[in-house]
Amino acid sequence: MANIAAQRIKREFKEVIKSEEVAKCAIKVELVSDSYTELKGEIAGPPDTPYEGGNFVLEIKVPETYPFNPPKVRFLTKIWHPNISSVTGAICLDILKDQWAAAMTLRTVLLSLQALLSAAEPDDPQDAVVAKQYKDAPDMFRLTARHWTAAYAGGPYSNPEFDSKIRRLADMGIESHDARVALSSFNWDLERATEQLFS
Amino acid sequence: MAENPVLEAWKTTVPCRYFASGSCREGDNCKYLHDEALLQILSEGDGLNTTAKRKDNVARSSVDDHNKCTGSSSGNNADNQDNSETRACTSTSQRDKGQLDTGTSSNSDSTESQNNTEPIICQYFQQGCCMFGSNCYNKHDPTEINISASSQSCSEDPPENNSSSTSVTVPLASDALSSDSSMSPLAPNGESLEDQRSPARPESESIETKTTLRVNAPEFIPSGFVRSIPSEASVVVDEVNDTKEASSGKTWAQVVNATAGNGVPSPYTSLCPYAEAGECPYAENCTYLHGETCEFCGNNCLHPTNEDQRKTHTDECIKQHEREMELAFAVARSKDKQCGVCFEVVVDKNPASEQRFGILPNCNHCFCLACIRKWRQAKQFENKIIRACPECRVTSDFVCPSMYWVDTKEEKDKLINAYKSALSNKQCKYFKQGRGKCPFGNKCFYLHAYPDGTKVDTGPPIRRQRQNADGETDVLQLFLWDFLDERDNRWLYSLEDIDLMAYFSGSDDSDASDIEMY
Repeated sequence: MANIAAQRIKREFKEVIKSEEVAKCAIKVELVSDSYTELKGEIAGPPDTPYEGGNFVLEIKVPETYPFNPPKVRFLTKIWHPNISSVTGAICLDILKDQWAAAMTLRTVLLSLQALLSAAEPDDPQDAVVAKQYKDAPDMFRLTARHWTAAYAGGPYSNPEFDSKIRRLADMGIESHDARVALSSFNWDLERATEQLFS
Repeated sequence: MAENPVLEAWKTTVPCRYFASGSCREGDNCKYLHDEALLQILSEGDGLNTTAKRKDNVARSSVDDHNKCTGSSSGNNADNQDNSETRACTSTSQRDKGQLDTGTSSNSDSTESQNNTEPIICQYFQQGCCMFGSNCYNKHDPTEINISASSQSCSEDPPENNSSSTSVTVPLASDALSSDSSMSPLAPNGESLEDQRSPARPESESIETKTTLRVNAPEFIPSGFVRSIPSEASVVVDEVNDTKEASSGKTWAQVVNATAGNGVPSPYTSLCPYAEAGECPYAENCTYLHGETCEFCGNNCLHPTNEDQRKTHTDECIKQHEREMELAFAVARSKDKQCGVCFEVVVDKNPASEQRFGILPNCNHCFCLACIRKWRQAKQFENKIIRACPECRVTSDFVCPSMYWVDTKEEKDKLINAYKSALSNKQCKYFKQGRGKCPFGNKCFYLHAYPDGTKVDTGPPIRRQRQNADGETDVLQLFLWDFLDERDNRWLYSLEDIDLMAYFSGSDDSDASDIEMY
């Protein structure tokens, strides 16, 4: 790893650990390997959003050319969000792509992701299904996102109706995650989800 | 060594000079005679000294001898010869030499045997500056100071008196030569010069002296001149001086610096360079003028009467002071500045060539030159992104290298103007004095001039355009990046002419190439 990248990540690592966001448990960074090339980030779901109360784990890969190139970040925790792939966790965020700036840090990246959770960009979607739901049925989107937060990120608000639908699909031999994806994609319409799953 | 009969003979006959002065480090291993009785004689009389030599001569031969003493075993013959060669400067007795002499210098021996009868007075002690102190081979006798001080100092001091001062200076040179290098020391001229010196001594006893410093010695007037034509002698010394004054026992300093006494030195008298630089060993006796202390630089360099000199110097000092203050401020404000890209403190970066700031004209964010340049050369982003400040995204057309951080707009403008003007004196490597074409036209920061020096306005920057696959007009971006790459190479090549300004340790390369083309 290029010297400058390692040096900088070390400094940033310390910066994040000392930052007030960590004190508020809003963001967190952990080392995965000793080489500082791979890190694990964690952001808290912002309040007053469907993600409130959840903890979202991120995979951060630092390229050799950092900080002249952005770190590669994706969600390890499953999340229902227009700009984040519900399948792979890939993030569509301009600063992680062409709008990167060398002065940005792990901390600013994590805070930006947190901001992304509270302000989605449905016009620049990563996950088209989620984006469509976000635009067409915002209430359903909020419920779904909150359900996903509870299911995967440790969120507090479980939804008994959604849970029972998933259970019914699970009884038919469907993995609960697949059932959740199918139901979420069809606005929790059990019939269409079943149809899609068994087609 | 031990079985050598000659050396054995030395051990019993040749007295060790270092032992004599109480400083032989060889002790019992010394190859020379350590004789307590002889030591007694030496310490009492100093009588074994043969000639009075200059201290450097003595010192050198002492070193030579002690080298031998500490045991170079090669060439006993050479040792012998060296010994007889240095004998003139030291205290080897006549008797010892008789046994060892290789027959090279019987002439000077005879001179020495004459001198053996009377102790030699140390010239340096008489002048108050014998570095050997109580270990000096020559006699240190306070009561005898008067005897020859005047003649010595007289004959040494006035440089104009070639006729008689040569008797001191020339033998010195020849002595140095003979003790240094030659196997046959004391050539005939050495002998004759010694002869010259001996009769000169009693003659000087009549002249009355009182001083330790040479400047206080009476003005030298060759005795012949004093009696017959005193006016000529004083003309030789100082043409400005009145003849009568000169001959009436004034000191040499007074004669040379005639104006020193009356309190109003001429504005044209030159300042003493020693006093100017620090301390003049002659203090108030110095023949040159000692300036007043400048309150800025603390040197004694203000001429007491020359107003022009005073003003020039004070102005210079104030300017220097301002420059130093400015620098101190610049250093202070640069101290903890962190590069926004590598997060290192710029002035602490390693190597030192990296300790430079890259100042963006349109915002106040701090980067080191290397980082901001690298960012601006990144190929993976749009031009708009990389030409913007990585912190605030305000676009800047170029980066100005600087050794120090600039805070205020004035400082920054000054810096950028100085940078531009420095660049504008360098030939543009695209224009090539008219042989090439510079794509930046009259926006180029470099000099566009023909070989005869006439400057050229090459018009606005060339807008290079091309049709892309869709038939749309597209500004040729590649061209700019080619240029930037090339510029980096140029930067490496031209490191040796980093001399433009204190501020720009690397102003020869250019971010001028970043200027807006679109």
